Amino acid sequence: MDPMHLVVGVVLAGVLIVTWIGIRGGARTSHTLEGWIVSDRGMGPVMTWFLLGTEVYTAFTFLGLAGFAYARGGGVFYNVATNDVGYALGFLLLPAIWLIGRRFGYVTQSDFIAGRYQSPKLGVFVALCTALIMIAYVDLNIEGLGSVLSVLLGGRIDLTTAEALGFVILTLAVFFGGIRGNAIQSAVKDILMFLSIATLLVLVPAHYFGGFGRMFERLMTEIPDRITMPGPTHRLGLSWFVTTVLLTGFGQWMWPQWFNVAYTGRGPRTLKLQAVFMPFYQLVKVAVITIGFAAILIFAGRNVPGNDVMMLLAKDLFPPWFLAIFALAAVLSAIVPAGPIVMVSSTLLARNVYAKLRPGTSGRTVFALSRWLVFPITLLALLLALVAHSLIVVILLVAYDFIAQLLPGVLIGGILWRRATGQGVFAGLLFGWVACAILHLMGYEQVFGMATGFVVLIGNFIVFFVVSLMTQPVEKAVLDRFFRTIYSHDPVTPGPVG
Amino acid sequence: MRTSLVAWIAGVVSVTGLYLLGPLLYFNAASPPILGMPPLYFWFVLVPLVSPAILGTVYLIDRRAGGVGSQIDEGS
Repeated sequence: MDPMHLVVGVVLAGVLIVTWIGIRGGARTSHTLEGWIVSDRGMGPVMTWFLLGTEVYTAFTFLGLAGFAYARGGGVFYNVATNDVGYALGFLLLPAIWLIGRRFGYVTQSDFIAGRYQSPKLGVFVALCTALIMIAYVDLNIEGLGSVLSVLLGGRIDLTTAEALGFVILTLAVFFGGIRGNAIQSAVKDILMFLSIATLLVLVPAHYFGGFGRMFERLMTEIPDRITMPGPTHRLGLSWFVTTVLLTGFGQWMWPQWFNVAYTGRGPRTLKLQAVFMPFYQLVKVAVITIGFAAILIFAGRNVPGNDVMMLLAKDLFPPWFLAIFALAAVLSAIVPAGPIVMVSSTLLARNVYAKLRPGTSGRTVFALSRWLVFPITLLALLLALVAHSLIVVILLVAYDFIAQLLPGVLIGGILWRRATGQGVFAGLLFGWVACAILHLMGYEQVFGMATGFVVLIGNFIVFFVVSLMTQPVEKAVLDRFFRTIYSHDPVTPGPVG
Repeated sequence: MRTSLVAWIAGVVSVTGLYLLGPLLYFNAASPPILGMPPLYFWFVLVPLVSPAILGTVYLIDRRAGGVGSQIDEGS
């Protein structure tokens, strides 16, 4: 029997079991939108840790980060810094979002923005734009799945069929299991991922170099330029590093699916604990980066696609039974993180776009529509991946630049500055998104060596402040109610999910 | 509340500062090795271990000072 048949069989069986676990796990929440998308705001610290873990540590962490280290050098360390800066910021931001969400019955980022600025139109605008950006983001996971399967199957099975099958399984798990089911799947995926990466981290230096000491010695003497900045492309210098860390670290919670983690927690303490313990997760990234650097020496003189190096090393080193576990972890790291993205996209479109454009839509209809939309959204993402692959790659490269433009409206105006207005947020966003689009279309990946999105964000902040000061603030009583919910110690009466 | 806000800002500045200033000031180099590791690599192993300590301190200060959301009883 071909050992690869065993591997594929185990992966398929594993994915089906994890799907079933997710569907069963989701049965414990209420049969409402609040139960489905934010687990009735009842997730404890451990499950929230896994949920956040799966959203942050995706196929990109498992495969793409090694590829980045392999192809682009020391600049890869921006990705270690990014999340920790985000966690530090989240220590206050996430509990604030949770309090507001509970008080006013919010379940999406768009709810938060529309409520804070008393502007349903701004809510619709943000929901529509972010949902579209997120659909492109699902394709990052499809890319990851394709990368795993192509190395694993080596042309034995049609790749498109395999990817489509993977995402049919994803939609079923999301439809029935909701966010709680996804969190339980995340726990399985994360444990397998830790096990796989830790094993590879031990085996690669031992097998190819004779130990960590010898490996580091060779990295330092043979490829010093590849393990520092600016790296082999000579483009990822220190000013790029600093501005990218600031942009992506502070922009982290602007992704609607990450923002939504704040709503799922049991309370502020649960969310603050995430900020304390999540940084340990970054060591997984350091491990993957180590393997990526090692791959430069291992594959020296060979033309290997960066995203494939992890799978190729695993194939080389592991016996079939452990390769099956590794491959299952890789496949799950592509499928499971797509769940919250699809769910939040569908909820944004159903609740914050459709229901706002058709007033009087019942809560039951919004819930049903949110669930059913996961099918067309996933299908759209799959079709985009097939017919407009290059477009998606471009979108993904700039997605962070776009999403981080929400920072003034969500962080500054959302929880810190009462004088901010909806017009200020809208003007800043419009400036930010148009400027990003123009600069990227003109080919500016960097401006004066700095991340393009960061430079644009400075302009966005200026527009946001100036227009806010020139326009009428939200009514004082509304602002008092909003900010008192965050900063007073009054009891927080739960509001209904509108 | 003021104490917990100051602690939070100090935490954000410390974590961000460590990550950014390390490579800017010294560690963006391949040698000499520190504990057998390239300096830049060493820094990015060290800071993820230091960050939980910083944010853990912020958490303890925040809890004593009654920070945001401290009135919420989350059970055990």
